Amino acid sequence: MRGRPNLYTDYSKESAIFSNNTQKVWFVIVVISAIVFSFFASDYWLLLLTTAFLIAVASWGLNIVSGFAGQINLAHGFFVGIGTYTSAIIGGIATSSVIGYELDMIIWLPLSGIAASIVGLMIAPITVRLKGLNLGLVTLALVFIGSHLFSNFKTVTGGAGLGRKVAKLKLLGVDLESGIQIGTYFLDKNEILYLICLALCIFTGLGVKNLIRTRAGRAYSAIRDGDIAAEAIGINIFRYKSSAFALSSFFGGISGAMFFTVSGGVEPGTFNLLYSIIFVAIVVIGGAGTVLGPLFGAFFYTLFPAFILVAIKALEISEQSLPLNLGQIERILFGLFIILFLIFEPRGLWGIWFRLRNYFKAWPFSY
Amino acid sequence: MTIFLQATVEGLSLAAIYSLVAIGFVLIYKSMDVLSFAQPALAVVGAGIISSLAVDRGLPFIPALLLAIILTGVLSLIIERTFLRPMVGEPVFSVAVLTIGIDILLRTFLDSWIGINPRYLGDPFPTYGTLGSVNVGGINLKYLEIAALVTAIVLITILSIFFKRSKYGVAMRATSFDQEAALAQGINVGRIFGLVWFIAGILAAFSGFFMTGGFNTLSQFSFVKALRALPAVVIGGLDSIPGAVVGSIIIGLTQGYVAYYQFQLEGIVGISLGNGFSLLAPYLIMFVILIFKPDGLFGTEEVERV
Repeated sequence: MRGRPNLYTDYSKESAIFSNNTQKVWFVIVVISAIVFSFFASDYWLLLLTTAFLIAVASWGLNIVSGFAGQINLAHGFFVGIGTYTSAIIGGIATSSVIGYELDMIIWLPLSGIAASIVGLMIAPITVRLKGLNLGLVTLALVFIGSHLFSNFKTVTGGAGLGRKVAKLKLLGVDLESGIQIGTYFLDKNEILYLICLALCIFTGLGVKNLIRTRAGRAYSAIRDGDIAAEAIGINIFRYKSSAFALSSFFGGISGAMFFTVSGGVEPGTFNLLYSIIFVAIVVIGGAGTVLGPLFGAFFYTLFPAFILVAIKALEISEQSLPLNLGQIERILFGLFIILFLIFEPRGLWGIWFRLRNYFKAWPFSY
Repeated sequence: MTIFLQATVEGLSLAAIYSLVAIGFVLIYKSMDVLSFAQPALAVVGAGIISSLAVDRGLPFIPALLLAIILTGVLSLIIERTFLRPMVGEPVFSVAVLTIGIDILLRTFLDSWIGINPRYLGDPFPTYGTLGSVNVGGINLKYLEIAALVTAIVLITILSIFFKRSKYGVAMRATSFDQEAALAQGINVGRIFGLVWFIAGILAAFSGFFMTGGFNTLSQFSFVKALRALPAVVIGGLDSIPGAVVGSIIIGLTQGYVAYYQFQLEGIVGISLGNGFSLLAPYLIMFVILIFKPDGLFGTEEVERV
């Protein structure tokens, strides 16, 4: 139907990943500009965006279980940690204190996701039986159990306060650590990581978008909206709740494996309670239960410290004269954003985006 | 046997500390259906105020303690008024996340004030000394532990009389039973919410003192101790005050016994359980109990309409 983009004549068209041409065009524009960006940007911004992509992948994972399936999970950081250490064992270098097998990225990346999702499935018998706040509290316990394990398995994690190096960057036998030459153009390590993470982010995003229109995705929404009613219409609660946890942990694991490969090393103390809560906050700030929300949230979370830094530089305030240090300012603002978004904009950044988009769609009419 | 008694005494005093925070959790949950993750932060804030008044300003200890406890209660009241009142009727999860936001705010300010070195809280009984202890038949009793036990028993007794006898206590029970019906009876539900947070803040401040007083010093990690009251609440059931006390006793004793008998326990299990396993044991107990009783030992089973 030309000229009538909102008229759908059949169900498959309405539930398509990109339901109209505008979305397709914008998607292509964004992807191309993201790729072009990598050739011009400085290392600082490249690294920042790389982390944003990876945090988005992990947040999408949490969004599956918390946003779509409606199960509170405060232990996402624990699953990220499982993924990280799996990749560190398989892809890392063995030293006198830690183990490592130096295998290829093509092996450790999927395996780190699978290991995390196996752990997610292992706790399924408990998580499926509980709901609401009790579930949240059990996952909270998981965070503490996790950090205890991480700091005590010294042959895997290097021990608390010491940490270890993580997986080597070796893809299909090519060592990416020192960069590669493609034709006349030289790609250095940061650009390669940026492009890999961009690809990962795009695939995950499309995957999540696709997931919500499948049988499993509809089952998740049904469980979120009323689990007893969902059971009554024949949805296997055990299967879908545990698969939501497994899937969410899978994304968390992959993201963790890549994230700490980018930053180079990992210390078991990283995976504390705040680390897990950051993901919850990102999903809430971005907009729970939406596809674009976690992406917005992840970008917001990684970019706003950079903007604070820019603002402090622009205002010519010396860091010493501030009553709090930068990390503390970030954390206070972050806490405030969680509170303000929940009170004033429960749909998060996605809600703001939604209203803006609709405003310009109907412009100059108010509706 | 001495070791056993020693572990029991230490476990019971821990239980006393946990029960104070746990009752705060339960009160808030019962009246507003809100799980407040800000409670541990409030406990540490209370301890921080005591330290700044008694040590930095040089106030005598008892006035500093009373002032700090009231200030924490007021802070808790302010939090309820500004952040939680707009959230009445919102999904439970959103409100829980909101209290996490409050927790981050409070703790960041407090951490920056505490700094790197741990802080002391001053001495309540200069003639006896909090830091001191008395030896009864081979068991080492710290004054602070005895004080914690006595305070918890006194406070819990006062609270239970308050709920049974006083006008506001009865109004609180009515509100937790049915908010709309309570409103229809002329109870000012908003005021009840405020009062609940005030009481919870006071309890948190008391437990904050016992957690960080004496040799236990206030540091950036003190809040993790207060957070261990959460498994106590879950074991007892989120909406039961006796449950909170029982849960705290279970958690406290577990922690006490595991701390003293970890070596023997490792002998039975056959693997090394790692440093600080006693701090983890409460969470494991919670795991096990929740498998068999998803609503806790004393919690009412949730009946849902579909």
